[in-house]
Amino acid sequence: MSAPAPRLALVGIRRQYGPVIALDAASLTVQRGEVHALLGENGAGKSTMMKIVFGLEQPDAGTIHIDGDSAHIRSPRHAMRQGISMVQQHFALVDALTVAENVALGGTARLDLDATRAHIRELSAASGLPIDPDARVRDLTVGAQQRLEIIKALSRDTTILILDEPTAVLAPQEARELLTWMRRFATNGGTVILVAHKLREVLSVADRITVLRKGRTVFTGHARDTTESSLADAMLGGPDMSSADARVIGATRAHSRQAGHSSSSAKTRDVLVLTGVGVDDAQGVQRLRDVNVTVRAGEIVGVAAVEGAGQQELLRVMAGRTTPTRGTATLPSDVGFAPEDRHRDAIVLDATITENVALKGAGRRHGIIPWSALRDATRTLMRLRDVRAGDAQAAVRTLSGGNQQKLVLGRELSGSPEALVVESPTRGLDIRATADVHAALRAARDQGTAVIVYSSDLDEVLALADRVIVVAEGHVREVAADRDTVGRAMLAPADR
Amino acid sequence: MSSPALADFLDASVRSATPLLLAALGETVAERSGVINVGIEGTIIAGCLAGLVAATVVGPNAALLAAGIAGIGIALIFVVVAIGLAADQIITGTAITMLGLGLTSTLYRVIYGDGGAALSAPTLSVIGIPLLQDIPVVGRALFRQPLPTYLAELMVPAIWYWLHRTQSGLAIRATGENPGASLASGISTRRVQTTAVLFGGMCGGLAGGTLVLAQVGTFTEGMSAGRGFVAIAIVALGRWHPVGVAMAALVFGMASALQFLFQALNLNLPYQIFLALPYLLTLLALALTRGVYRAPAALGARKAVRG
Repeated sequence: MSAPAPRLALVGIRRQYGPVIALDAASLTVQRGEVHALLGENGAGKSTMMKIVFGLEQPDAGTIHIDGDSAHIRSPRHAMRQGISMVQQHFALVDALTVAENVALGGTARLDLDATRAHIRELSAASGLPIDPDARVRDLTVGAQQRLEIIKALSRDTTILILDEPTAVLAPQEARELLTWMRRFATNGGTVILVAHKLREVLSVADRITVLRKGRTVFTGHARDTTESSLADAMLGGPDMSSADARVIGATRAHSRQAGHSSSSAKTRDVLVLTGVGVDDAQGVQRLRDVNVTVRAGEIVGVAAVEGAGQQELLRVMAGRTTPTRGTATLPSDVGFAPEDRHRDAIVLDATITENVALKGAGRRHGIIPWSALRDATRTLMRLRDVRAGDAQAAVRTLSGGNQQKLVLGRELSGSPEALVVESPTRGLDIRATADVHAALRAARDQGTAVIVYSSDLDEVLALADRVIVVAEGHVREVAADRDTVGRAMLAPADR
Repeated sequence: MSSPALADFLDASVRSATPLLLAALGETVAERSGVINVGIEGTIIAGCLAGLVAATVVGPNAALLAAGIAGIGIALIFVVVAIGLAADQIITGTAITMLGLGLTSTLYRVIYGDGGAALSAPTLSVIGIPLLQDIPVVGRALFRQPLPTYLAELMVPAIWYWLHRTQSGLAIRATGENPGASLASGISTRRVQTTAVLFGGMCGGLAGGTLVLAQVGTFTEGMSAGRGFVAIAIVALGRWHPVGVAMAALVFGMASALQFLFQALNLNLPYQIFLALPYLLTLLALALTRGVYRAPAALGARKAVRG
């Protein structure tokens, strides 16, 4: 008898966003009754692949097979009809409604909340995921919200469950319980696709593992045949940086090292010191634990981390935007901050360039705004930072992403702050603008500013940094600035 | 206060409250779906004119229906612009109020000539419920009213049941709170909001019809007199809940009735004070109960999500 067709198979999947190829000839084969882990660095294409399976995105090329039959998944609704559900990192729950109402949402049968409650209790008992059907979602912990998402999926007769970084938001105990549940769900004939970063976790639960690197499937095999080290090798690959931006970064990297050495010897004053810093989130989960970091004048400290490891909190503590729950943060009075989400956190798109420049420190000033002086200062800033726009009175919306970012950096650097915190500074920028932003950061460093840079692109961190610190599961440590060491440190905290 | 005077006062309160309650209940449903329709004033005035015109042709009962349909027609414009094209809801609603007021004045003159002869339409008769209407003090206010009052009162539990006990009501509440999550659950948020706004339009039209057919008996330009905006305040005061809205509408009804009462009693107070009272109450209630109950989280969100 021939082997049964795989539960789900993706073959030769390609997905392109403009010039960026997110997936290229990627494949994935998942059997019934297994926990299948999908691994890869940030930007390797994991999320894109899962969005395709759940019908949120359509592939440009390639085929999907469910139980051996060719399938075209048009929408989440369509995916759910075929037994596929996905628990996304950002939960799709309605806060103001109860657990039972959330489960009933989108159903087609007559609304019968008593029956829904009974059904939830049944599912809850059978799956070992405790949840109170009458609780309001806004009163639930993150862990309970996740259990609700899973119960919601189960109530729709889900047989393929996609979990995207499910343990990232959970406390360790909750994470262990979730892994145990996954195992049992698979043993009972369900199929789990687990998108994850933490190798130890993956090895403890997965039957088989697929690794994506730069949009391609580079490894598929049984978990028992792999080790943390071999998986890290597969994820990070060799030094095969062939893409155009890698060449640009490679070229500027040499320059960085030279400049770094010449300046770091001159200025070694401690500018920014964190001692025993811990940060808890609203749910009381520890996002940062006992962080000790010192950043000196005239150096660029690169921050490397996988998503949700605590780097967001770290950067906001360093920028003075978040007060640590524990420990002390000694910051200079003037810290520039260029956050990752420019449009949300850094600029007002429909205001003019001058008005955006005027925003810096606006909360501390009083009286009448000296607009003409500000316009002159803005023109100088634009010239200095090479911000290309019609005029200082142009709306920021009309600027390209690169010019917007140069404007933000220029504004944050005006008045020569002692420290500058930068988060994913070149996200969405082209090669030219990327090089300009990198040059601006190095120039700031050379003038004695303490610069902290986080990027989800490890190569960018390595290209810019004089020293590298890694955030992993809330722990921070300094490591040697080579790709392999940093890559491994990102995937596993040192002491556990 | 003598008991006949009190009975008069209660009767006047309920009468004044009826169109407010109808409009506010409709607006409640729209707002629970995440849409704030400040064009409700426009749907009321459309209901007024449609009610008058239809009453002269088909009689007052069918005219009430025509008023509701006119309200739906005006709400349809709002749906196309604010939901279909995702334009700003406040601006769209304001424009629709202006459109409703202007259009009705124009049509009224076209139909009845420049003079705008003070036409009187056949009105709805009062329906008394035997025995109950004879209860002292409250009998007349509760059980001797025209059809729209009973209709509005029945709508209170009906809307509660719709919102809280049916799949489509759940979809309305979920869409108003989190359109993204609703969409992910397979709900068409646009369809949900369209239904809710059209229902709100019908209620606004009925409110206008009530003004003409159960109270004034004629049409005058701008006779809606801000009731649409009062209805929006009532929804907030009533905390987006049908029962709360009913009580809030009664408070506003009493405030209007007070001015008649005080005029009758020859008290030397400017009646405008009593007109302002309910609004002060609204502001106070909004400020004091902040956080306890709240508006739908995605209320007024532009371009919530495509769906």
